[in-house]
Amino acid sequence: MRLPLLGLLLGLLSFVSALSASGSKLLVVIEDEADKGKYSQFWTDLENRGFQLTYRSPKDASLSLFLHGEPAYSHLLLLPVRAKGLGPALTPNLLVDFVNGGSNVLLALSGEQSVPSAINSLLLELDINLPADRTSLVVDHFNFDSKSAAEKHDVILLPSPEFKKGVKNYFSVDGLIAFPRAVGQVLGNASPLLSSVVKAPSTAYVYNPKEEGESVEDPFATGSQINIVSAFQARNSARFTVLGSAEALEDKWFSASVQLPVPGSKAEKSSNKAFAQKLSAWTFMELGVLKVGQIQHYLNEGSQKGISNTSEVASIDVNPEIYRIKNDVHYSIELSEWEIDHWAPFSPPQGDSLQLEFSMLSPFHRLNLQPKAQTANSTIYTSEFKLPDQHGIFNFFVEYRRPFFTNVEEKRTVTVRHFAHDEWPRSYVISGAWPWISGIWVTVGGWIVFVALWLYSKPAEPKVKTR
Amino acid sequence: MPPKKPSSTTASPANPPKTSTPKSEPSIRNSQDAAQILSQITNNYLERTPQRTKLLDAFMVFLMLVGLIQFVYCVIAGNYPFNAFLSGFSATVGQFVLTASLRVQTNVENKAEFEKISHER
Repeated sequence: MRLPLLGLLLGLLSFVSALSASGSKLLVVIEDEADKGKYSQFWTDLENRGFQLTYRSPKDASLSLFLHGEPAYSHLLLLPVRAKGLGPALTPNLLVDFVNGGSNVLLALSGEQSVPSAINSLLLELDINLPADRTSLVVDHFNFDSKSAAEKHDVILLPSPEFKKGVKNYFSVDGLIAFPRAVGQVLGNASPLLSSVVKAPSTAYVYNPKEEGESVEDPFATGSQINIVSAFQARNSARFTVLGSAEALEDKWFSASVQLPVPGSKAEKSSNKAFAQKLSAWTFMELGVLKVGQIQHYLNEGSQKGISNTSEVASIDVNPEIYRIKNDVHYSIELSEWEIDHWAPFSPPQGDSLQLEFSMLSPFHRLNLQPKAQTANSTIYTSEFKLPDQHGIFNFFVEYRRPFFTNVEEKRTVTVRHFAHDEWPRSYVISGAWPWISGIWVTVGGWIVFVALWLYSKPAEPKVKTR
Repeated sequence: MPPKKPSSTTASPANPPKTSTPKSEPSIRNSQDAAQILSQITNNYLERTPQRTKLLDAFMVFLMLVGLIQFVYCVIAGNYPFNAFLSGFSATVGQFVLTASLRVQTNVENKAEFEKISHER
């Protein structure tokens, strides 16, 4: 009696602590049931992290990405297929709809078999280009694994990816990552939604083993323009990651011993497992998901000046709809970041900052928000400023779009009115007006003196003479 | 004998302005004569103007000066509280206009035109 109850409770608990911020249902599209065993460590890892895995073959008639018009799964892992196409359930259109529905896709390619044209056109939608001949690999004669690819040089060993300042690195691992027979991608530079995760080293190039000679003379791409792993984050923050080498997820490479072809380098264990974990954690929304909590803005002058905690003050007017020009205001926004299994206080990466815009068509203010307080799972950012000397309909606008973070776009609209007729400063308050005010008083004083003299002085007698 | 009588000086009832003579015209060329003319005008004014009119004139000169100072200050220092400038300057100008009309009304020469206005006004 007790045991099922406990089991139910545990089941509920595991459901509640489902580890992704967006859902735990993961569809794995794998062509051959027999190949499943190759990735067993990866599956175990995903299951331990709380994902519910469903395996389907692309030819499966029951395979459908949608249920009642909504995405049936939160995440999709597409492994390479030998067939030319992916079948009617996985057309590029449907996959794009799937991403537009808010689901995440991890697409693994392999240089061992030719890439289906459906995948090619899907990636073109995202502005990712693959080599035209579909069988090309990334080759590097300086960074290959000398143990497994001493002849072919097609297993590339790369250190942990690094990003420029101000970009958070969710993919850092210790040691070398092996990318066997990777398909190189070239990212179009028009899309701000794309970002490269792992770039090939400068000595790499794209090579087609089936066409000797020609591709060496005129390679599709060379050096760091080749991406081995690239990430696309849609406007709805759904993620689409392209991993050039599906083999890197295999058990064989999780525990492989690799060695660079440099004299004196030692054989070491590849860090593919850690990298696969991080890459899937990011793609399946376990990392880099931002959440906005409470947003407050209020007047920061008069009796409300310098209030630190709004709940302590009874009469405070929080989030009013109307302000006056030149009012001092206080704005605060609460932000959390999902870290694997909990909401943690968010802080932007080094060299980056969260900004608040006060805008009407164009921003009148763009201010850095300062972290003022921290709760167990959020940071409260605040800014205090004086409203511009312009009336109209304004927005408190926080827009934070950065690679690898979900988008934050928070708008609060307020009216800014002009001064009421009795709110202007009196002229005697303005020192510049004093000369003219004294002019008035000199005139008034002069008039009083004149009247006194006028009344005092007697009219002269010529009046009598005129008569 | 004054060669010309400025219209601003109040006419004394005893001396209607018929005294101007053409013979004085050539003497203007002489600067000494000009000084003489000026002093005569002044003397004439001081002697013949009723005392109340002089008081009015003094007050108008005072108002003119105050108004001029305010205007010059506005030109030099800027018109920032423009309303303050407007009120200060127009108060002075308005007082000047009122004083000028008082001067016209109390002028003995214009007595006939303002018969209906009492002395108390």
